[in-house]
Amino acid sequence: MATETLTTSAPSAPVAKKSASNSTFARVAKYTGIRILTMMVTVTIGVYLTIMIANMGGYMDTIIRNEVRDNITQSMLANPAFRNLAPDVREKLIQEKIASEIKRQGLDQPFAVRSMNYLRNALTLNLGRAVNMISDHGSKEVRLILLERLPATLLLTGTSELILFFASVFIALSLSRRYGSFFDKMTIAFSPTSAAPPWFYGIFFILIFAGVFRILPFGGLVDSPSPTNPIDYGLNVLKHLILPASAVICSSIFLSIYNWRTFFLIYSSEDYVEMAKAKGLPQRDVERRYILRPTMPTIITNFALLVITLWTGFTITETVFLWPGLGITLYRAIGFNDTPVIVGSTIIYAYLLAITVLLLDFVYALVDPRVKVGSGNSQ
Amino acid sequence: MSQNNKLLRIEGLVLYFNTTHGPVQAVDGVNFELESNRAVVVLGESGCGKSSLAKAILRLLPRNAGTYSGHIYLEGQDIMALGEEEFRQNVRWAAISMVPQAAMNALNPVIRVGEQVAEPAIVHLGVGKDEAYSLVKKMFQHVGVPEDFISRYPFELSGGMRQRVAIAMALVTSPNLIILDEPTSALDVLTQANIFNVLKRLKKELGVSFILITHDIATSSELADDVAVMYAGQIVEVSDAHRFFAKPLHPYSQKLMASVPRLHGDKEPEFITGRPPSLIDLPKGCRFADRCPARFEKCVEDPPVIEKDGRKVKCWLYA
Repeated sequence: MATETLTTSAPSAPVAKKSASNSTFARVAKYTGIRILTMMVTVTIGVYLTIMIANMGGYMDTIIRNEVRDNITQSMLANPAFRNLAPDVREKLIQEKIASEIKRQGLDQPFAVRSMNYLRNALTLNLGRAVNMISDHGSKEVRLILLERLPATLLLTGTSELILFFASVFIALSLSRRYGSFFDKMTIAFSPTSAAPPWFYGIFFILIFAGVFRILPFGGLVDSPSPTNPIDYGLNVLKHLILPASAVICSSIFLSIYNWRTFFLIYSSEDYVEMAKAKGLPQRDVERRYILRPTMPTIITNFALLVITLWTGFTITETVFLWPGLGITLYRAIGFNDTPVIVGSTIIYAYLLAITVLLLDFVYALVDPRVKVGSGNSQ
Repeated sequence: MSQNNKLLRIEGLVLYFNTTHGPVQAVDGVNFELESNRAVVVLGESGCGKSSLAKAILRLLPRNAGTYSGHIYLEGQDIMALGEEEFRQNVRWAAISMVPQAAMNALNPVIRVGEQVAEPAIVHLGVGKDEAYSLVKKMFQHVGVPEDFISRYPFELSGGMRQRVAIAMALVTSPNLIILDEPTSALDVLTQANIFNVLKRLKKELGVSFILITHDIATSSELADDVAVMYAGQIVEVSDAHRFFAKPLHPYSQKLMASVPRLHGDKEPEFITGRPPSLIDLPKGCRFADRCPARFEKCVEDPPVIEKDGRKVKCWLYA
């Protein structure tokens, strides 16, 4: 009987598979198209909101117009060349100059039109030029200002967040095995320490390790003058990285472990996990195949979202450690009312987020057989 | 019959759970024997400790498990004395397997069922993947699952099929004893009957023994050689099935039997007044006394287990 079923089922299998893969392709294509469209709508709305907020709903134009008016009036009045003109002629000249400057900057158009220009430029990644800020190399290109700071930020956020993520997932998994043990209770007891932000720990770390013991630098990315040998340079940066990275890790490690531990505890009390234990599978197999694998979508989601938040940097922590990253830049851009820098940084984040979410949908389908792309009735 | 002929002998098995209100005495001094190639049905209401008994035998203790003691002799060897790793290798699925309550959730949603069934064979029989899969196919044939279901995921199977897969999984290492924890309670009657037929056939063909934990007296009578009745964490009656179904001894068993609806005859199904005692705060003396129609003065003391024509009953009526 066994051979009979085998022979009858064998030839029919490839046929079924082929037609299934054809319809799968069409379904995936349609689904992807719809997803990309909705993502674009979301990104557009998000960026437009940022533009509105960064421009204070158009009030920023009034501020800039007044600034222009002030600056031109001041410089004209101070200019000896115009001192001998009749006041009404001078006034007319000033008004003309103001009008032309406002026109040059496009400030004569209503904000509704201007915001659309901003939006178009942002969406096409035409980040434009900063209003007030300049990069360390003297450029006003927003792209250069941001790119210049990106490596430092990625170094700090990448190192600390990746260590934090993997350490907490694996420590949590082992704690969920030792529910109620000393270390488990200790983690719970320490989790409120995450109420304090990284810079709070940073201040104490600087005080202790840089101020008192003098074994680590106070801040910055590298010594000045910086070592010329690339290896020495790398080691020097690493030395500067220790304090800010540990501040970030310390400030959330316990809470993060606690969260993951609870997550794993819930999933390790599933019936199929108990069944796996009953089957006499080794602990390692139970954890890998029966706890980690079913929870993979959640873990991957957390990881992917974490990777893109690396882009934003830590504003205050970077300030405390004088770390030349994007966080500081963004903070200064807000202070300078530098809309193009703010919008530029946001649009890149929005695109990264959209692409990640889109990719995640397909990753889910890969790691979880219950997820079928584009079909509403998987059950 | 000598002690060594017994497949399973449980002596004074105790399993308590710690709660904030005090220990829950889920299994409280259970004594119990099972010969090979026999099926014993453990009957009882919900919450009387039946499932805990199954878990205690396989040492599947939840996080809040407290006292866990007694002896479990499997073919003469006390498996309670084994270390955790030895127990995993030599008892779990190697000698005793189980079909869990709610097999719906007992299968890992992201692993193909064939792989899940093959796993214990690979771990315990030390066979290769191919050999394990041919074993799986054989087991699927035994329980009536189409062979090509091997590469399906649990969510692609119906409830009855999943239950059959769970049974195939319990069979794959050919253990001597299979514990079935309400294997059919979530299924419709047709599927139930089907699965019981499968179990009966397996017992005859493969010579396995079953511990069938259920509250479904009617269907379990199909399979039962012996019956053990459990009440409030203790076994109150052990009897061969034939005489038990004809005339149960313990008042609780009598009430339990009377609660089964019958097709012929005018007798209304009865119910037992009151509720089973809380397993945290158990009454002194006989635990059924409060609900017992035949209660008398002696019931304030804990009744002994009395042997009567090869049947055992824990009741003062037979002293």
